[in-house]
Amino acid sequence: MSGHQRLQWLALGLLATLLPAIDTGMPLSWGAICLMALTALKLREARSRSELRRSSLLLLVITGVMAALLPGLGPSLIQLLTTLLALSSLLALELGGALQVRTLLGRSLRLLAAALPLVLVLFLLVPRVGPIWTVPMGQTARTGLSDRLDTGSIADLVAVDTPAARISFANEQPPPPEARYWRVLTLHSFDGQRWERLPGEDRFDALARSAAGAANQQGTGAREQFWLAEPTLLPVLPWSGQGQPLDPDLRISPDGVLLNNRPPIERRAYGFTDLSAPATWKRQPPRDAALEFPVGLNPRLQALGREWKDTLAPADRVAAAQRWYLSQPFRYTTKPGLLPGPHPVDAFLFDTRTGFCEHFASGFTALMRAAGVPARIVLGYQGGDWVPQVGGGGYLDVRQSDAHAWSEVWLADQGWVMVDPTAWVSPLRITAGQPVSAGQTPRQFSPLGWTLLQWRGIDLRWTGWVMGFNRQDQLALIERLLGKRHEWIGVVLVASLALCLALVLPLMRWTQRRRDADGLRRELDRCLERLHGLGLDPLPGEDLGHFCRRAGQQRPDLDGVLDELARTYLRQRFGPAQPQEERQASSQRLRRLRQQLSRAPAAAPNPQA
Amino acid sequence: MVSAERLAMPKPAKFTGMFRPNTGQQLRLGARSVYILPTGFGVLWLLAVALLQVVGIQLQSNGALMMSFLLLGLFLLAMHLTAFNLQGLEMSCSAPPPGFADAPLTYPVVVRSRCHRDQLRIAFIQGASVRENTTVGVTDQEIQPGQSLLSIPWQPQQRGLQRPGRLRISSSAPLGLFRCWSLWEPPMAQLVYPARCEGPVAESCSDAQGNQANLNAPQSAVGHDDWVDLRPHRAEEGVSRLYWKSLARGRGAHAKVFAGAQPSELLLGLQPGLPKEQALNHLSARIWALSATAHSYGLILVATTIAPGSGSRHRDQCLMALALLP
Repeated sequence: MSGHQRLQWLALGLLATLLPAIDTGMPLSWGAICLMALTALKLREARSRSELRRSSLLLLVITGVMAALLPGLGPSLIQLLTTLLALSSLLALELGGALQVRTLLGRSLRLLAAALPLVLVLFLLVPRVGPIWTVPMGQTARTGLSDRLDTGSIADLVAVDTPAARISFANEQPPPPEARYWRVLTLHSFDGQRWERLPGEDRFDALARSAAGAANQQGTGAREQFWLAEPTLLPVLPWSGQGQPLDPDLRISPDGVLLNNRPPIERRAYGFTDLSAPATWKRQPPRDAALEFPVGLNPRLQALGREWKDTLAPADRVAAAQRWYLSQPFRYTTKPGLLPGPHPVDAFLFDTRTGFCEHFASGFTALMRAAGVPARIVLGYQGGDWVPQVGGGGYLDVRQSDAHAWSEVWLADQGWVMVDPTAWVSPLRITAGQPVSAGQTPRQFSPLGWTLLQWRGIDLRWTGWVMGFNRQDQLALIERLLGKRHEWIGVVLVASLALCLALVLPLMRWTQRRRDADGLRRELDRCLERLHGLGLDPLPGEDLGHFCRRAGQQRPDLDGVLDELARTYLRQRFGPAQPQEERQASSQRLRRLRQQLSRAPAAAPNPQA
Repeated sequence: MVSAERLAMPKPAKFTGMFRPNTGQQLRLGARSVYILPTGFGVLWLLAVALLQVVGIQLQSNGALMMSFLLLGLFLLAMHLTAFNLQGLEMSCSAPPPGFADAPLTYPVVVRSRCHRDQLRIAFIQGASVRENTTVGVTDQEIQPGQSLLSIPWQPQQRGLQRPGRLRISSSAPLGLFRCWSLWEPPMAQLVYPARCEGPVAESCSDAQGNQANLNAPQSAVGHDDWVDLRPHRAEEGVSRLYWKSLARGRGAHAKVFAGAQPSELLLGLQPGLPKEQALNHLSARIWALSATAHSYGLILVATTIAPGSGSRHRDQCLMALALLP
């Protein structure tokens, strides 16, 4: 197998390591797999130069497709390496197969570096367009919040320690632990036991048609908060409930849910602005469903609620519920077991009193509805670990185990108010971010874990600044560059490309010439420098051969080294032209001689001593 | 920028007529004397750029967009790098050694370069296409900084002082996306001897008196050990074989005819009855064969006669006479 073929196999192998990570729900992933199989076949068969060229182009295309499927930092690095290998094999085809792999990699690295300014200009300035057509996306099994609250659904999730989202803040200040509530869904429909979304609630296209007023104005300010959410089951994304999304494919529903118009199986990066502005969804009046309560299924709860409804004002009913929760011996656990009997919420509130956030939120919300206060369940995440980054700043690491359920009640004078009954029962769960009673040990510090978290932070930045650069960011950039004269962007693009070429090409020629002519000379100069350190300097007009002989007489211990130095240099410089490998070998020989010179003592050892 | 390079139809080899070759003893390749066009692979490369753009736009993926921009950037870069690989190269003729029409000749070209150049393909175009698929291997070679002498193979079509035609120097390094080339007609002609082809030639032996003995006479019959006969002396024969006694006796000048074992000096000529070129080819082969032995031979052509002799200079002189015969 020839060298370039080996390089291509290596690149294909590297790409294959990414295969387990891709999501087969995307039609494109099958395209990538087919392309890889095709490339492997082609590589097996390829003999001629043009076939090998084409297979390396195929490798580059697969790398691009992989970059679309796996935008994370780790896969990106592997893709970069693959690109390097594919380019090296192309170079090897063009430059004759005899070159060393190191030389080839060096050349393709220089080529990549030279192309980088062009890529940057194209990336920043080529106008972005939206998707041309919409592709139906498949569904795959994935952990994450579901659109219903059933007994045990969150408790199962808490056992899963996979990442859910990463959040970075422009001011690098995370909110205090008690304020880290990241909402995903609101649940209105209650059947006496289970909470679900209303059918057809909050569809993105429906929102687009009704253009739901001020709630969906596109943010245009600077990015104050950046999110990177892992793929989810639902077309909704976690957010803080404050601010405006910077992405046109995101909208805030009247219930305060962030709707995502992209397939949920993609990792999603999005930013927010105007964090301090009041959230309009909080003032949206409740739906009728927020008071729905199936009569007779939980009689004791119903009686308690009616008692409060008859005696207290709405805000006081919430306070009464808090007092009641605190007065009862509630216990927090992630393994509450099954609730007995035909009245499950009654059974929890009045019998077992052992539960998890979903039980507390469910009981409280049901109580509020029984007491005549519009209420709903909010599913989302609570907490997240602040991971300080080595280079300064940091990010909030939210995991699936931070999944949480809480309540919102509608008070006419305040709008929707967040109430978390779990915090009353187990304040530690909220402040420490740990399901402490669940018998889990707190996360231990480990070097591997720390490295992983740091890596995820760099990944977040990479995604935030490179992979998250979208049409809005581009428009903002163009606005800053050109003001309102957008039509000049073509001219600016071409001029910048020409400028890049005008800078890069002479630089490439210059470095090439330096490497050509002076690799040997540089080594010689370093050797002479070292000899100068030993007190040996050439006389004016003295040639290298003479100098080395004279120096060898002065320092008999170095005679052999100096002799070889002169011979190597003179043969290479004035002998017949030799191939590149030979010249490199000569440079290496000089380097070795220089190391010997460096080891030599400053003064000649006295033979008499 | 490469704006000065003339762009034309995309199949350079087939449309050589459209590209004006450079002439002159020396050629320095500059922006005005090289052509550049994308190769088929370059077009495929642009298709890949378009494909990745579609993927990137469709999935709103910056990764795929970046990859497609990288390919596009490399394309733009490769255009210049390929042109630079040729530009600044200086070529000049050096005196070409003569050769036979039946074997591939090498034409020497001195190449001077200030920097290292990647694989260059240098070949003569003959007829309409570059001789890329013939046995005379066209190889790519890298050029080291400084001066180097390249021997470029070509196949002459006929004898005489021939010019090898257009030299095509091209390069597709570093990525094979573009092919950059230039044409040059080296002015210095190369001497081509007739092809060597075994066959009958007119042979005559010059006997002791310089007489052309009968063709096909036994070659060893005429020498100068002992003279066996006399014949009238001719002035151009000199005095060494003059039969002085008969001159002294007033019987006129006679020359001695010798007989001996020594090979006679052979005079070669065009075989009558054959086409001239074919007869020349036979002569060329015979001279080549004789020069390998110690035989001395001469040549009689239409208007030239080369006295018998041997050695490489003599051979070259005879072959040149054959080559230049009008």
